[in-house]
Amino acid sequence: MDKKMENIKYNISEALELPKDIVLDLPKITIIGNIQINILNHKGIIEYSQEVLRVNSNIGVIKITGNDLKLKTILSEEIIANGIIDKIEIIS
Amino acid sequence: MKGYVIIKVKGLTLERFLNLAATNDIYLWDIKRVDYTELEMKATIEGFRALKEIVNKVGCRVEVVEKRGLPFLLYKIKHRKALGVGFILFFVIIITLSSIIWDIKVVGNEKVKTEDIIKFLEIEGIKSGIIKYKIDKDYIKHLLLNKFETFSFVSVEIKGTRLIIDIKEIELINEEIDENTPSHIVASKKGVIEKVIARNGKAVVRKGDIVEKNDILISGLISDEDSDGFILVHADGEVWAKTLYSYKIEEPIVKTIREETGRVFERKELKIGERGIQFIKGDIPFNDYVESIEEVNIFNLNIDLPLKILVHQYKEVESKEITQDIDLIKEKNHIRAVEELNKQLPPKADIISKDVKHIVNDNFVTTYVVIEVLEDIGEKRPIN
Repeated sequence: MDKKMENIKYNISEALELPKDIVLDLPKITIIGNIQINILNHKGIIEYSQEVLRVNSNIGVIKITGNDLKLKTILSEEIIANGIIDKIEIIS
Repeated sequence: MKGYVIIKVKGLTLERFLNLAATNDIYLWDIKRVDYTELEMKATIEGFRALKEIVNKVGCRVEVVEKRGLPFLLYKIKHRKALGVGFILFFVIIITLSSIIWDIKVVGNEKVKTEDIIKFLEIEGIKSGIIKYKIDKDYIKHLLLNKFETFSFVSVEIKGTRLIIDIKEIELINEEIDENTPSHIVASKKGVIEKVIARNGKAVVRKGDIVEKNDILISGLISDEDSDGFILVHADGEVWAKTLYSYKIEEPIVKTIREETGRVFERKELKIGERGIQFIKGDIPFNDYVESIEEVNIFNLNIDLPLKILVHQYKEVESKEITQDIDLIKEKNHIRAVEELNKQLPPKADIISKDVKHIVNDNFVTTYVVIEVLEDIGEKRPIN
């Protein structure tokens, strides 16, 4: 049932050219070089240390590995992390 | 501006703390993991208060590391009254000093002296030291235009702490009398008439006549041939006359000169407004001295501050008697007299002769220089 619903949403957004992150309620991840990452529409932090940042989202856990990771901002919608980013994994 | 705190949060489930803060709309930023059980972050003052609830829920400890921003600064200042007072005083002084006129500058005046204008304004209450918001520019404008008739335009401008008065003067062409108004030509000075050229009107003097000042030379009053009455005309013409200019110089042969010996004694004085404090270090060690006061410009500014440092310099002098050579005095006197006379002579004058006379008394050489010149002494004057 869920899969069907998702497909309909996907088709609508394709047809109307609507942004998929809003229609499908997906996270939007923006990275600037390897120094900053913005995650919009997250579902909370699971783990945070200077080396690893794990953020929950609709598509699974986003795992960011790096050095000197700092959380610049935490809002209910958005996380901005600074530092040297080595790796971004999506674990679903 | 709003102020924030840097806090340390200690505990085990710190991620949960962050998530709760985010969902409760508590703004946290610059979060850094210091340790496995420790986070460092920044929070607003309101955010910090709201955090207490979450802290109780999660079960961790919060510690304030540093307070930053204006509200904390104000709180600190409350306990340091002198600092606060100084701060306010600083602004008050800056504002008051910058709202006072320190300097009045007069631009564009040629015939009327700057000092006269400033003196006149001072009598009217406009001088350096008054508050600039009190100045009524239009009032000053009318005041100056009414007082000095030669001003055709006055603009008053305040630039910072300087009052600039820009003046345009009327070009006065020496009482040019209209061609149609009846007038005489009168003598502007004493002289012996040499030549009369009457272009209009009737010449009443002839060559060789001696005229005094204000005597009529060419009359604008002509008897009418048809009737017995008179016609008034605008007299015109040139009247050349010989006039004398003399100058006398007296110079003593034996002269006492006060010569500086080069030794100087200084005293400093601090002047605040009208009151002065002199720093005295001993008496003046000279019998005969010349005092000169010099003002030290404190800030290298061209403004009249009420605070002044004056340096009194006492220069020792020695009286000496010098006997001068008589021939040298004569020559010097002659040159000086001619120079002085040259300043008096009108531009359109021909020098006919020069007479130099030296009289040597017991201690003085008196020199008379008389110059005879030929010049136009006619001056137009309307008939009343």
